[in-house]
Amino acid sequence: MEHYNMNLTLKVWRQKNTNAQGQFESYQVPGVSSEMSFLEMFDVLNERLINEGKEPVAFDHDCREGICGACSMHINGRAHGPWAGTTTCQLHMRAFKDGDTITVEPWRSGSFPVVKDLTVDRGAFDRIIEAGGYVSVNTGNAQDANNILVPKDDADAAFAAAACIGCGACVAACKNSSAMLFVSAKVSQLALLPQGQPEKKSRALNMIAQMDKEGFGSCTNTGACEAECPKEISLTNIARLNREYIAAGLTYEK
Amino acid sequence: MKWSQFFNTSIGKKLLVGATGLFLCSFVIVHLAGNLALLKNDGGEAFNVYAAFMSHNALIQFIAWGLKIVILVHAILALQLTFRNRAARPVKYAVNPGNQTSSWFSRQMAIMGSILLIFIIIHLKDFWYRMHYGELEPVSYGGEELKNMYLAVQVAFRELWIVIIYVIGMIGLSFHLVHGFKSAFQTFGLNHVKYNGLINFVGVWIFGILIPLGFAIIPVVIYFKSIQ
Amino acid sequence: MLDSKIPAGSLDKKWEDYKGHCKLVNPANKRNMEVIIVGTGLAGASAAASLGELGYKVKAFCFQDSPRRAHSIAAQGGINAAKNYQNDGDSVFRLFYDTVKGGDYRAREANVHRLAEVSGNIIDQCVAQGVPFAREYGGLLSNRSFGGTQVQRTFYAAGQTGQQLLLGAYSALERQVALGNVTMYNRHEMLEVVTIDGKARGIIARDLITGKLERHFGHAVLLCTGGYGNVFYLSTNAMGSNVTAAWKATRKGAFFGNPCYTQIHPTCIPVSGDHQSKLTLMSESLRNDGRIWVPKKQNDNRKPADIPEEERDYYLERRYPAFGNLVPRDVASRAAKERCDAGYGVGSSKQAVYLDYAAAIERYGKIEANKRQMHNASAAEITKLGKEVVAEKYGNLFDMYAKITGENPYELPMRIYPAVHYTMGGLWVDYELMTSITGLYALGEANFSDHGANRLGASALMQGLADGYFVIPYTLGNYLADDIRTKAIPTDHPAFAEAEKNVQDTINQLMNIKGTKSVDHFHKKLGKIMWDKCGMARNEQGLKEAIVEIQQLRAEFWKDVRIPGDANEFNPELEKAGRVADFLELGELMCVDALNRRESCGGHFREESQTEDGEAKRDDDNFSYVAAWEYKGPSQFELHKEPLEFVECKPTQRSYK
Repeated sequence: MEHYNMNLTLKVWRQKNTNAQGQFESYQVPGVSSEMSFLEMFDVLNERLINEGKEPVAFDHDCREGICGACSMHINGRAHGPWAGTTTCQLHMRAFKDGDTITVEPWRSGSFPVVKDLTVDRGAFDRIIEAGGYVSVNTGNAQDANNILVPKDDADAAFAAAACIGCGACVAACKNSSAMLFVSAKVSQLALLPQGQPEKKSRALNMIAQMDKEGFGSCTNTGACEAECPKEISLTNIARLNREYIAAGLTYEK
Repeated sequence: MKWSQFFNTSIGKKLLVGATGLFLCSFVIVHLAGNLALLKNDGGEAFNVYAAFMSHNALIQFIAWGLKIVILVHAILALQLTFRNRAARPVKYAVNPGNQTSSWFSRQMAIMGSILLIFIIIHLKDFWYRMHYGELEPVSYGGEELKNMYLAVQVAFRELWIVIIYVIGMIGLSFHLVHGFKSAFQTFGLNHVKYNGLINFVGVWIFGILIPLGFAIIPVVIYFKSIQ
Repeated sequence: MLDSKIPAGSLDKKWEDYKGHCKLVNPANKRNMEVIIVGTGLAGASAAASLGELGYKVKAFCFQDSPRRAHSIAAQGGINAAKNYQNDGDSVFRLFYDTVKGGDYRAREANVHRLAEVSGNIIDQCVAQGVPFAREYGGLLSNRSFGGTQVQRTFYAAGQTGQQLLLGAYSALERQVALGNVTMYNRHEMLEVVTIDGKARGIIARDLITGKLERHFGHAVLLCTGGYGNVFYLSTNAMGSNVTAAWKATRKGAFFGNPCYTQIHPTCIPVSGDHQSKLTLMSESLRNDGRIWVPKKQNDNRKPADIPEEERDYYLERRYPAFGNLVPRDVASRAAKERCDAGYGVGSSKQAVYLDYAAAIERYGKIEANKRQMHNASAAEITKLGKEVVAEKYGNLFDMYAKITGENPYELPMRIYPAVHYTMGGLWVDYELMTSITGLYALGEANFSDHGANRLGASALMQGLADGYFVIPYTLGNYLADDIRTKAIPTDHPAFAEAEKNVQDTINQLMNIKGTKSVDHFHKKLGKIMWDKCGMARNEQGLKEAIVEIQQLRAEFWKDVRIPGDANEFNPELEKAGRVADFLELGELMCVDALNRRESCGGHFREESQTEDGEAKRDDDNFSYVAAWEYKGPSQFELHKEPLEFVECKPTQRSYK
């Protein structure tokens, strides 16, 4: 593909720390190559800011291959930017053209407080997993792996749900900042597998309770989370979570 | 798990909103069926008989009061959830995705619902209140004297502004149900490729278009008849 | 001096005997024993979960915002286990043998055998946790072959096996957090090991949000901090992957084993420009069906489609007729470099070769047409069918390639080039995974480990989890059983104060340089030196130059680096600076080790040690040892040799011709 260079204007959210007041700042970024990734464009900007004696923009990133879930930028109104099924780190500058103004904001959610600039605290997700996103099996307890038969379709569906990278784009994209897609992905993965059955009731109820406690909004089924999920986790998982909740809530004795 | 706990989580509340919503969906069908008597060319007899029946039958009265409670529960819980949802994002985005990631009406449930609620209050005051507690001219069919609700409706819909309010109310209903009907199924966990098409069809065409259109057409027809 | 503590007895009984005789800590005492675990990848998360389950008081640290983000998550291909579910002749011995041989006879037999023994338990454990491995229609687990082994022993979850295994370990870890057995410290970076009376007794960690230094006591300290491939700046590692924890331990007296052994993976997406921040790997499985070639003419600028078949050089098939495109990673990487250095490279940078699926598309298309009884299928129909088959097998990789390069790999051959991927070297550990500092352990990629000079595909995940789930719970107990009388040492102990002061001084020093160049500037320069002179091929002269250049660069760094912001706040530039400062020391040691090892073995290719036709030549007479380096001060390293003995696996020269 022919590559080209472009001059861009970036409007970036700058906030010194959680308690500070934030504001947008504009930066001209000339000579951006269409072959760069979006984060490499930020590297270039930061290098320049450092050379000018200014503070670089803080943002979360690590693997830069779309799997660790660290990167988290709200780009021109879109979680992870304009490409479907793509994390910020895999978004490339081919998606933009010369003269564009790009507005970059952190994930916005009361449950994800801004740490600095574009970096947020997603500890709420860890706490939701702590509430039940596991199978209680100690090391060494396991039987032979092939003693557990799992129909291929169930295994495939469980994998599709388990592909969640915990980036928080679902929360960022949802107008209610609901975490239902995230919670449903983990609940679905385990609900679809025989290994998850013994704890299925308490898991669904406890994870939902923690989700509510963290202050996430509720789901109004707009589907924005599914549209923005870089791993394309399906809304059917939210339906399954609702079923799990109903089944558990109606029969759980404790 | 206690019932109070079950219905007190975000999903529990949504289940109540969904269940009350679907109940209200069934109500609008019945309501529309009765209302269509207004279009009958019988001088209002069918409608007046229907109206009298609705306001005197004990069972119907019981259901009617239940209906109002259901509307209140639906509205209060939905508003509660809406305020909570708003609060979940204290700092808003400078740029929003618009319709790129979700449909417009799916994002306007609270607005459309509120329009509907206001409409329902106006509507109850206009007709239900007058039917039950107000003064209406009597009309008699075969010796039985009934309140002439038909006439009251005809009079009301001669006013253009009332017609407009009713049409706006029905537009609110339309957008509310286009998303609301299928959303309720998703909330109940009923999402299956084999049935999603049907649910979507019923939600959009029957509840989103046909029924609101049926309601809206009545004041419009009456209005145009009156100015002829 | 180097005691590897390998148990006596026959190879297949060593681990069994060890487990039967090692000391145990009773449950009541475990509650009083504190264990620090640094890093939460496969090794760290599995160790934290398992030790928490046993009842130890565990504190786990990661620099990421969540333990789930550790770089193990990026592993694509799979995890080996000697289950022999396919009835194709696999066994513990065969997995052991393949691993030792694949490591070019530079690994410790006893460790590798133990690894093979526990490999099956890992799969059982992960399945029990709900890891959604790929399955057959009958509901049983599916296997594929990998990395040139002759059996199908690789378990996988699409191209995201590492992710699924890590999330399994992560959920086990979070369960222990919920139960109060593990305390998790996210966004914390370990910056010093605290030793008291010669034993590791804690760490100094920096809270990356507040910049505050914290003292943490532990009866033992486990480093599970991964590899150091980022010393090359460009690698397939995550941006944050670093050597800091291991290097601080080295400076404290832990020996560093085989630092020069790095794995360069042949199928990565090539560098596109100076802005490049990292390289992306594409699974080795692509070589199963793709053909690798370059033009026969030097500096050929034609489009690939315009180069006729007879003017293409399928150099792997030409040089290695027996294995062709499926030669091991080190061989494939060197062959690509050889062609590019000789001027046959393709693409704008000329540092790439083609990986071509045209032949595979046609072949699969014909097979599919036959299956569907389409005997007169047109070329276009065959291509269409072939593309569908290829999409089903490799679709996610092709999509990733298209996203990054903007080119359609179904139409154009992909451009690939080798990239740094894994480091076999690491902290020297004995059989119990203890470093040469008592009470300090290293697990997973952070130790010099079980892979010798070259790691086979799908073995890294196996080792990380073996160490964490099944080895450390026994070996750590054996150590702590003698330590039950040691009460938790208060962190106002002078050793903690001194360690904290050292860390604080280093941070102050870095912040006060206020130079003119960014951290990345130095990191890129270091990476270039390492890649050019200690990369895929090394020679004496280059390595000697590299050592001098690194020393100069290091001096320049400490004079001229610019770190904006404040030390008492979230400051990613300061984090990077600390890591690059350590890379600048490690890089030198890697060159020293590479210079010392005047043989070619696995990922380490010394140009002076090759056969007449340019293949790697090992020198077992002189170099059959683990090089464990002791830090004696800046640029001063002392070599300790741990001789390697091969009882079951007699070394032979590898040949793929």
